[in-house]
Amino acid sequence: MARRRSRDILHRWEGNPILTGDDIPFPCNTVFNGAPVRIDDHYLLLLRVEGREGYSVLALARSDDGLHFEVEPEPVMTPAKEGPFHSAEMHGVEDPRVAFLEDWYYITYTAFGDCGPRIALARTKDFEDFERIAIISEPGNKDAVLFPRKIGGRYARLDRPYGHGIGNIWISWSKDLVHWGDSRVILGVRHGFWDNDRVGASAVPIETEDGWLELYHGVKMTSGGPIYRLGAAILDRDDPAKVLCRADIPILTPREEYERIGDIPNVCFASGAILEPSGEIKVYYGAADTSICVATARLETLIERCKLR
Amino acid sequence: MPRRSFKRDVVHRWEGNPAITIDDVPFPCLDIRDAGVAKVGDKYILLLTIEALDGQTAIYRAESEDGQRFEIAPSPAIEASHHGESGTYESIGVEDARITFLDGAYYVIYTANSPLGFRLAIAKTADFKTFERMGHISQPDTKHGVLFPERIDGRYARLDRPREGGAIWISYSNDLKYWGNMHFVMGPRGGFWDNSRVGPGTPPMRVDEGWLIIYYGIRETSAGPLFRLGAAVLDGEHPHEVIGRADVPILSPRERYERIGDLGNLVFTCGGVIEDGRLLLYYGGGDSCICVGTAPVAQLVERCFSGEER
Repeated sequence: MARRRSRDILHRWEGNPILTGDDIPFPCNTVFNGAPVRIDDHYLLLLRVEGREGYSVLALARSDDGLHFEVEPEPVMTPAKEGPFHSAEMHGVEDPRVAFLEDWYYITYTAFGDCGPRIALARTKDFEDFERIAIISEPGNKDAVLFPRKIGGRYARLDRPYGHGIGNIWISWSKDLVHWGDSRVILGVRHGFWDNDRVGASAVPIETEDGWLELYHGVKMTSGGPIYRLGAAILDRDDPAKVLCRADIPILTPREEYERIGDIPNVCFASGAILEPSGEIKVYYGAADTSICVATARLETLIERCKLR
Repeated sequence: MPRRSFKRDVVHRWEGNPAITIDDVPFPCLDIRDAGVAKVGDKYILLLTIEALDGQTAIYRAESEDGQRFEIAPSPAIEASHHGESGTYESIGVEDARITFLDGAYYVIYTANSPLGFRLAIAKTADFKTFERMGHISQPDTKHGVLFPERIDGRYARLDRPREGGAIWISYSNDLKYWGNMHFVMGPRGGFWDNSRVGPGTPPMRVDEGWLIIYYGIRETSAGPLFRLGAAVLDGEHPHEVIGRADVPILSPRERYERIGDLGNLVFTCGGVIEDGRLLLYYGGGDSCICVGTAPVAQLVERCFSGEER
């Protein structure tokens, strides 16, 4: 029986999932939440691999088509064993996002330490040597994405702090990537909607003529646990604190078995997307916290959906 | 009734406590709590949190010649902004002012409260009559910010209490606007009286040994939280390093005005003044009054370096 998939704006690749724990060449529990980078004709995915002990490391996968990936034999980033990052990362490094900016690949990731999750910033030129820059938030904050260029002379990021138990998307600004301020909420939960409990930035914002396309995750809390879906919004190009429009419906919802079944069931959680020269967007998302999948859409389709009233 | 002995507490209560109650407020209100303090010339100035009848909080100035009998100004010193950008973050009110004298000005860090959570905000004043608001300086849910009265290695520094983890953290800034290099300072201690949550109380005070801080610690009980005050000394040059921490509280709720109130079993401080080697501590009791206590600074510091380590 043919399944109906037309309810989702993103189209799943039929080869999903593209990576599971079986593809990881070292012992692990699961792989999920990979950040994609396209360098010429090569695709890289910076992966979150959860070890059997329960803490996560970052591994690297390579591909020529963005669909079939091979994972390198050793992790590329593991929790710092000493120095200033040690206490902040002792329970793992998680959920990387990669932004290309001023000739560097900047990686925002979640450092899990004794006091909870914090946002950390590192950079690399070649995905072999990674330079940690700073931990850039207090605990209780995650899902940070760096804008891929300075805006009005300042660096900008989105993230997801918690206030009175509600997780909204905030923007913060910096002149040096280390000291951050001027924070404000930009995109919040919507009561009654599919994203009524928590929202957080997913993909590094993609600059378009209509503004910054931001793919975010929205959570609805049910008596059976959370449902993680994917949404889209457009932010003003010069002042991304301004949300120009936001899709009313999710662009991807857990429906397939690999999204329904896993360590955290009912999760579609994107952590990056690539805009191909053809105008196709490839969205990389973790499914059920247990595998990595790809889904695609035309850029204009996503933008139209955001604008639709 | 025989006089009770409170030798168990390092801080000595003023016999005239509570110094300020709701009856001293020149207008109807729900509650009064949490006073930051500065000594300006011969005058003692408090910035109090007053909860209005509708539940909104604002910060009011109170003045005193002797540090014990205060007069409260009838209109707020800092009130919630209800429009524009800052209105978004202050729709429930502003509270818990802590005052630091630095570079010739008084800086006030206070908490802005809205449905989006608690954030820290900072303002500057010369006379405690007009305040220049300098913006919000944290994301939610961070409270209890205290600014160091000196720059540390050229940078401004503050302590605060992000909600996650319930611990005291330090942050640095070159301009009081962009903050970074956050670092853990000290957290709850398993099995102790402060096993659940800790947060800064007074702004750090320079002593020979380093920085003396009075902090609050919470023990969560089946009947709710027990708020007590503790003391610690931070390294003078590297204030994220705790070099001494008292094993026992320096003040615990025992008097009726500390046991009974909107939040019973609570002593909580936002500031103190050091005079002739003695700390004059202003603390809230039961979240419903302001009290005065004193303790020799040397004794507080000594307490931080003695006692059992567990």
